Amino acid sequence: MSTAPKTVQSKETSLSEKGLKAGSVGLIGAVVIGVSCIAPAYTLTAALGPTVSEVGVHLPAIFLVGFIPMLLVALGYRELNNAMPDAGTSFTWATRAFGPWIGWMGGWGLIAATIIVLSNLAAVAVDFFYLMLAQIFSNPELGELSKILPLNIATTLVFIALACWISYRGMETTKGVQYVLVAFQLLVLGWFAVSAFAHVANGTAFDATTISPDWFNPFAVDSFSSFAAGVSLSIFIYWGWDVTLTMNEETKNPEKTPGRAATITVLVIVIIYMTVALATLSFAGVGETGLGAGNPENQSSIFAVLAGPVMGPFAILMSLAILSSSAASLQSTFVSPARTMLAMGHYRAISPRFGKISPTYKSPSFATIAAAIAAAGFYVITRTVSENALWDTITALGMMICFYYGITALACVWFFRAEAFRGARGFFFKFLAPLVGGVILLVMFVKTAMDSMDPEYGSGSSVGGVGLVFILGMGVILLGVVVMLVMYRLRPEFFKGKVLTRA
Amino acid sequence: MRYVVGYTANARGHDAVHLAVALARNHDVSLDLVLVIPEDSPFNAVYPPEAGYNDILNEQAQRWLDEGLALVPDDVTARAHIRRGDSEAQTLIDAAVEFDAAALVIGATNSGLFKRFTIGSVASSLLHSSPVPVALAPHGYHRTEPITRLSCGFGTRPGADQLLDVAVESARDRGLPLRLVSLLALDGGNSPGLADAAWVHAADRLAAVGGSTEGDRSGEAGGSGEVDGSVPEPEIVVAQGRTIEEAVDRLDWEDGEILLIGSSRLAQQRATFLGTTANRILRALPVPMTVVPRDYTRQSS
Repeated sequence: MSTAPKTVQSKETSLSEKGLKAGSVGLIGAVVIGVSCIAPAYTLTAALGPTVSEVGVHLPAIFLVGFIPMLLVALGYRELNNAMPDAGTSFTWATRAFGPWIGWMGGWGLIAATIIVLSNLAAVAVDFFYLMLAQIFSNPELGELSKILPLNIATTLVFIALACWISYRGMETTKGVQYVLVAFQLLVLGWFAVSAFAHVANGTAFDATTISPDWFNPFAVDSFSSFAAGVSLSIFIYWGWDVTLTMNEETKNPEKTPGRAATITVLVIVIIYMTVALATLSFAGVGETGLGAGNPENQSSIFAVLAGPVMGPFAILMSLAILSSSAASLQSTFVSPARTMLAMGHYRAISPRFGKISPTYKSPSFATIAAAIAAAGFYVITRTVSENALWDTITALGMMICFYYGITALACVWFFRAEAFRGARGFFFKFLAPLVGGVILLVMFVKTAMDSMDPEYGSGSSVGGVGLVFILGMGVILLGVVVMLVMYRLRPEFFKGKVLTRA
Repeated sequence: MRYVVGYTANARGHDAVHLAVALARNHDVSLDLVLVIPEDSPFNAVYPPEAGYNDILNEQAQRWLDEGLALVPDDVTARAHIRRGDSEAQTLIDAAVEFDAAALVIGATNSGLFKRFTIGSVASSLLHSSPVPVALAPHGYHRTEPITRLSCGFGTRPGADQLLDVAVESARDRGLPLRLVSLLALDGGNSPGLADAAWVHAADRLAAVGGSTEGDRSGEAGGSGEVDGSVPEPEIVVAQGRTIEEAVDRLDWEDGEILLIGSSRLAQQRATFLGTTANRILRALPVPMTVVPRDYTRQSS
């Protein structure tokens, strides 16, 4: 029997080597990751209608312009991510730059944006789930089931719970599945566009509209309000693109792959967005009746309405593409708010319970469940008070992205203020780009927030004479302020700058 | 000799550490507590992107391992390791191979809500692919005293002789009494003919493997005969029941006992064997069980 003393030798910390996955992603892989994060089929069905309602035929112009602030801010995000890698991202960076109060609200904004997108993803998945059932059994009544409020809410909650459970268990979408999902989405969107143009050529389109160069002119949008609303919506359609920029060790060539992948991803996305936007407009026009893209009935989920008339029996492929991509996004999106909450719990900015990690699955246990409850709660509230929940949540989401991304971009400018003027590269990436991008986003945020007080704004839902989008967007931010003040009373050490210090 | 302990900071991991300590105390064994943390697939990209979660996870893993090491008493040498990998089972196997470990020790039960009585998924994948013996601690195993008796589940499947080899040598090395256990599941209850046949077969194989070994014929417990005063002669018992569970139930088990059984790694029957029989034995078994791979030859110490 051994009587040797227990020797606790060095616990091997294999953190520096970022694991076996280093160098496993090539250029195509990185593009696939970028496209899958954007989830173009889901994004288009959710955002195309609301954007048309704001800017009409100038949809292509707004889609192009919307990329500019996204690009500028993403460049700043990358600098912060390289300088201060941290699970809290915007929360941590804004705290280091501007102190605990703004940092806390930055984190809240990020969590709110991801929670809102979770509830929207689940709702879109549910719509297409019932639509697909209707298509499989050739029974349109099944598709109508998603309009029955209690059933719709119940199904959505089931989807959220399933995604939460999968995320809690730490299960992940594998490379093969991701390739198939992305290829399938692009193929189906291409098919939709080609069919739509074929209808236009054959004279069988609903409202054949000739493409005009004016559609690409962002200055032709009738008002700054519409322009601002359109841009904050199109921020959402590129949300996800910047994931490629922040990839490092996992790529085969960290020097070149991320930049090239980001470029190719945005080209792929812009081409598919332009093609589908033009196809939709030339097939359906922007009229407010029937299949018209201007018809408020169609705008919450444009493909649910148009895929059938455009693609005929193959519309089921569209349902399948949107259902699969939104379900995959639903699962992967759970990771983000959970990790931000975990980081905030870790830094004692909220209850440390959020910092708990499941010993069995090694995932943020408390935070993942909290994210699911918040997403479910948000959906139930929106669905019950809004005539058009999908539409209103997407508009509120655009606002929330502008808010936290704007704060993040300005945090970059402030954090690097000392070193930004030491060279042209630093000046551009650490100062100019994030400054311009951040200011644009915050201006869009303020403008959209002011406009959305109008009860007619967006889908026209309102509570007590105030637009629902305003209530949702500002309500979430105000709730954040209240929670923050409560946290200040409960755990002042974070707010006194004792945990995370300003740089 | 080293044992790799698959450690998780929950009841399952504690069971594993307790059993590993008990096993280590019989022999000059040091323990390697391995905690596996999952590796994010880049194809499941987190958005908005972040790069710090791994640091938090790593800190947490260090704290968990400190708790795990605290469970190991001072007379047993233990080290702790954090490993990254997609599959917990595969990562444990890789660690076992890397450390040239003589066995893998894990908690058998799943800690899931509805799966209290089944083998956990990690245990089950290990049983399908481990090249070294896998020791499974039953749910709530608290004992850390040395093992007091070695039982060897014995059948007529191919590979039984190799298993017997391992059992005889293990018992000799540790100075433990050995008991050969033949479990018969018979629909009609007791069948003296079959039981006798099983006994004769066991005695036969034991003689072939161990040389001059004579069994003490007794169906009940307590009939072990001491020969030289050092290591008692192996005992042979045949347990019968309508089901495997009942047969396991009918045997007496010492608190400090461990059952050695053979796995048919990559064999055609592996699914049946591990899916049903091993699972059922484990469910009824009050003591730990070590599953030895089919073609395993014992590591010389």
